[in-house]
This record gives sequence, structure tokens and C-alpha cells, in this order.
Amino acid sequence: MRTDTAPPENARDEATDDVLVVRDVVRRFGDLVAVDGVSFRIAPGETYGLLGPNGAGKTTTISVVAGLLRADAGSVTVLGRPVGPRHVDVKRHVGLVPQDLAIYPELSARENLMYFGRLQGMRGRELTRRVGEVLETVGLADRAKDPTKEYSGGMRRRLNIGVGLLHRPALLILDEPTVGVDPQSRNAILESVEALSGEGMAVLYTTHYMEEAERLCDRIGIIDSGRIQAEGTRSELIRLTGELDRVRLAGDGDVAGAAAAVARVPGVQHVDADRTGMLLTVADAPTAVAAVVAAATGAGMTLTDVEIARPNLESVFLQLTGKALRD
Amino acid sequence: MRPLLVMTAADLRQHVRDRSVLIFALLVPLALMFVFDLTFGGMDDLELDPVDVAVAAPEGDPLAEVLVDVVGGLDAVEVHLTRATPDAARAMVRDGEVALAVLVPDGFTDAVTGGREVVVDVVENDQGELESAVVQTVLRAVLDGFHADAVAVAAGASAGLGPEQLAALAGTAAASAPRYATTPGEASREQLTFGGSLVAGQAGLFLLFTVGFGVLALLTEREQGTLARLQSMPMRPGLVVGAKALSAYVLGVTATCVLLVAGGAFFGVSFGSPPAVLVLVLAVVTAAVSLVFVIARVARTAEQAQIAQSILAMVLGMSAGAFFPITAGGVLGTILDLNPIAAFMHGLGITSGGGGLADLGRPLAVMLGFAAVAAVVSRLLPDRRVAA
Repeated sequence: MRTDTAPPENARDEATDDVLVVRDVVRRFGDLVAVDGVSFRIAPGETYGLLGPNGAGKTTTISVVAGLLRADAGSVTVLGRPVGPRHVDVKRHVGLVPQDLAIYPELSARENLMYFGRLQGMRGRELTRRVGEVLETVGLADRAKDPTKEYSGGMRRRLNIGVGLLHRPALLILDEPTVGVDPQSRNAILESVEALSGEGMAVLYTTHYMEEAERLCDRIGIIDSGRIQAEGTRSELIRLTGELDRVRLAGDGDVAGAAAAVARVPGVQHVDADRTGMLLTVADAPTAVAAVVAAATGAGMTLTDVEIARPNLESVFLQLTGKALRD
Repeated sequence: MRPLLVMTAADLRQHVRDRSVLIFALLVPLALMFVFDLTFGGMDDLELDPVDVAVAAPEGDPLAEVLVDVVGGLDAVEVHLTRATPDAARAMVRDGEVALAVLVPDGFTDAVTGGREVVVDVVENDQGELESAVVQTVLRAVLDGFHADAVAVAAGASAGLGPEQLAALAGTAAASAPRYATTPGEASREQLTFGGSLVAGQAGLFLLFTVGFGVLALLTEREQGTLARLQSMPMRPGLVVGAKALSAYVLGVTATCVLLVAGGAFFGVSFGSPPAVLVLVLAVVTAAVSLVFVIARVARTAEQAQIAQSILAMVLGMSAGAFFPITAGGVLGTILDLNPIAAFMHGLGITSGGGGLADLGRPLAVMLGFAAVAAVVSRLLPDRRVAA
């Protein structure tokens, strides 16, 4: 049996300033435990990424957070107010951008926005003005009157996001918003999300694209099999693996002398040299690379190329779950 | 309340833009009405030609005279009788002077009242086949009646009745002919004309398609992802279903009224009291909307739902007589009577015959009962749609 265990709608969680607080949420579908004790928080202006492969529990978690599904256990609050299918008013503070293109093909972009705006309780000049702003934000002002069935996939994706942020929600939930989008539209979407976060909106972003999570998210929760396996900033997560950055110096001249000089640079852990250059392992490559280059050239090496390779979230995910993100 | 109206208005706007609603709700049924009218439309105006019949009957034979009088006095077809000898009557048929000859043998009454076998010969040519068939049908019915009476007289004789009593019995048998009468009964007053049946039947059949556009949009919303977005809006989740029901209702009432008015005008049919007809329309749309909600509950996809809806529409429409009149007795007849489209047509028959709201109890009970049962079933059935 499923119960809405959250407190009454007017109850406030005074203990936090976080926009979203998810505590020990469990959601089952029959015998399948889709979400198993998930907890995380998002502060104003913070972008939190749920990174995981398909079937990890991202969309179910989002459905509970957006109030589409009840949690079997645990609680979700937005601005301190409980979230659930029966809690109507708190939904005004949440903007949902579903994974599917949740817009009407027969209606134009403006009509779609006006429609969802009215359902959000907006009306009159406020609604008209806000629709105009959103159309500008998502770059669809010049095609606002065309039926969306005539739009490209990227344009529809942008409108899909526009509907979610129309009512200026405190929390914007984006469920894999760039799936099936061309690179240009994808970049536009990512820029929009960065801008919204900069305006103070809390953003919950799910993806299985590592590079998106790395670019957008202040903190990342790695989710698999319905559980948060690890959580933190990108650097914190990478430190969990114990892996170091790698720097490759290519060139000629006194490579052996340069290798000896580079080995003395703080942060450099190991140096392997050969006739064409050297490979270093470094604790924090961006910080150390200037000193490394100076030491190598000062020791008589003529550099032709410098290449930095950092461990990424893909390797973190692989180490934590034993599988790749796109599995 | 405002979100309900906003969603309903948006649904209706999309249905209007999506031409398939206009096509299925109005154009196709109107086109079918015309096609059926062109094909079968002459049946209402069927008029029989006069038919010439030669009769050879023994003079002074009471039952033979009854037979001749019945044939000559038919209402359904005008019969021109010519008395002749048997041979002359046969010759007239052969020569094409008459379409039919009825040859009643001598001693006809004695044979009938004595319970003995007697043969009335009917000779026909290929003139006026339909009119001849009508005359022969009536003859057969009268002779069947004579036979029953003859058996009664014969039974009286075997029971030891005296000659006077037997004569009185035979006289009664003779005097009671003809054995049939036509009076306008209750059923005929509730019967729609051919054109009326066509308009009402097509309106009822396509009503299920029309309301389907409204209700089954729920499945389309799920498939295109907008249902999740609607459920994330600050309103009660039940309003989404309510809006679909309301838009289906508006579509159904509008389309049915337009079809009845347009069809009635084209075919010269009056369905009677507008308020009574409107009540019938509201009731049948309620039943149709409830039924489509059952489909929406059972079907996993919009495509499945459309197939189920088409099958149900055809079954209910055809069994109601949307294409051809269908009659059945017993259990099957009772089942057919519970068909809301049949009840709708029955109700229109009553109103077109001059009935008012007070006369619509039975068809309204059938339609609203059907709606109530379907509504309960749709609530009790497990939702087969896969959770998102």
C-alpha cells in the first residue's frame, strides 16, 4: 500500500534554506524497487545533476520530486512544503521539463505557452509579457505563430524547456533535455540552463551524458539501480577514484634533463621520458602545468605539444558501478 | 474550475484544427446518409399498381363469396376483379388480360365446413409480380383461417352436435371472415420512417467515433508526454480526465445535433419536439462518453483504443439498425433493446410520432442505465496503461 506520508501542505521545513530536499525516498512498481532510499538537496542557484544510465531510476526520482508519483517512503519538500500528487499549490514552484516533448503539435509556440501559463494560474498582461520573454529566451520569437509540428527537433526541445520555466519556478527539473538534439540546439539548451542557474533558479538535471554533467552541474549524484552511489562536486567524485591527471609533453632537445627538472615541480608524482617527450602524472594538472612547462623549457627541451588528460566522470562511474554510463 | 475550462477549450480548439474530427463527426455520416438514401431511398415511396384478377367461383357458395369479397376489397393493392368460368379465367391469364386467376372449386363451403381437403387453384403470369404476391398472401391467410374453422366444425360433428348446431357453427365461421385486420398499432407510431432511421442511425453510430476523439485524447496525451506535464500543473489530477469528458461531451452533443438538423432538413424528416430530442441527445452522448471511458481504461495505446472503438461503434450501430432494420426476439431481442443507440432511435421514433418528454421513460432509462453501468465498470477495471 502506498501512502502520502508528507506533512500537511502548509507545514514548512524551517530547518533549511534549500529549495529542494529529498529524504530517503523509496518508490516501488510491484516487486521492482525503482528508487531505493534516495536523498539529496539543492540550494538556490545550484545545478544538481543526476547522472546514471538508462533504467537507473532518474525519471522515477524526478516523477516523485515533481509530484507526479507518490513516494512509498521518505519525503520530498520544495521551499519547505511537501510535494505529492495531492499537494497542488507547491507545484507552482516547480517547473518540469519531461524527457518526452510535452507540447501540442497542432498549437503554435505562443499558444502552447499561453495554454500552460493559464494552467499555472497566470493571466492577462503578465502572461502575455512572460510568454514574450520566454520566446526570446528560447530563441523562438520569430517562429512563435507557427504550429510546432513544423518545428525542428531542436526547436521543440527549446520550447519544451520554455514551458517549464514560464512561471519562474524556484525549482526547474530537466529530464534528459538534450536527447536526440543536434549539437547547435544542444549547446543553446546548455547555455540556457547555465543562465537560469545564474539567475538563482535551483536546477535538477538528469542526464547520461557525462560531458553535460561536467559542464553544468555544481554537484552530481551518481545513481544506479535506484540508489545514489556517490555525490559531490566533480573534483570530489574524481578524488574518490584516486586517479591523477596526466600531462604529455612532446618535443626534442635535452629531454632527459627536462625530465629531471620536471620531476622536481610540486605536484608531479611520476615522470616517464623517451626520445620524443615525456608523460607525467600530476595531482592537479591545470595548477601545475605552467610550472612544468617552465621547468622543461628551462632545462633545454624545445616543446612541440602539451596535452592534459584528466580522469572524468565516466571513469568514476565505471569504478563505482562496474559499468559504463551508456550501458 | 478555471483549469477545467482552459483545458476543455484547448482540446476543442485542437479538435477543430484536426480536420479528422470534422470528417468523422459530420462529413462521413452525412455522406453515408446520402449514399444509403440513393440506394434504398425508394422504399418509403413504394406504391403498388392496380392488378387485374379473374375469379372463377361457384355461384351462391357462401365461403367462396367471402373469398372473392376479401380479394376484391384489399386496401394494400387495388384489385380489378373479373368473374369468369375456370377455363376463361385460365385463358385470360395466358393471354395477359389479367395477372392472376383464382379458381374456387364447386362445393367449396361444404368441403371446408366438412373438414375435407379442398384446393383453390391460383394461376399467374409474369405481370405485376409484387401485386400478385400480395393478393396470394392474403388468399393464403384467408384459406388458413377457413381451415381452422373447418376443423372446428368437423370436430363439432364428431362430438355429436346436431345438424342445426353444425350449420350455425359453419355460418359463424363464414361470417367471421376476413380473419385479418390492419389497425395502426403502438409500434408503428414509434417507428421512424426510412429517412428518419437513416439520419438517426448514422448520427448514433458516428457519435461513438466523435466522443472517442475527446476521451481517447487522454491516451494521446500520455503518448506524446503532455499528460505528465499536465499532472505537474497546480491543479487536481482528476481535472485532466474531467476536461476530456467535457470536450467529448461538447463534441458529441454538437455533432449529433448538427447531424439530426442537417439530415432532417435534407431528408424532410421531423424528429418532433426539440426539447425532447435534445434530452435524448444528451442521454445518448452520456452513454457514449461512458462507454469510451471503458475503452480508454482497457486499451494500452491510442491505436488499440481506436480499433476497439471502431468495432464497438459498428456492432452497436448495426445492431441498432443504423444501416438496415434489425429485429430479434427472446434473449437476443432483450440484449438489443439495451443498446443505447437503439434506445436513441426508439426515442426519436416516439418524438417524431408526436411523443414528448413524458413518453421517453424507457429509452432514457436504457441510455442512462447503460451510462451508469459503463461508468462503474470504467472505475472498477484495472488500468492497463503502463506506468510512466
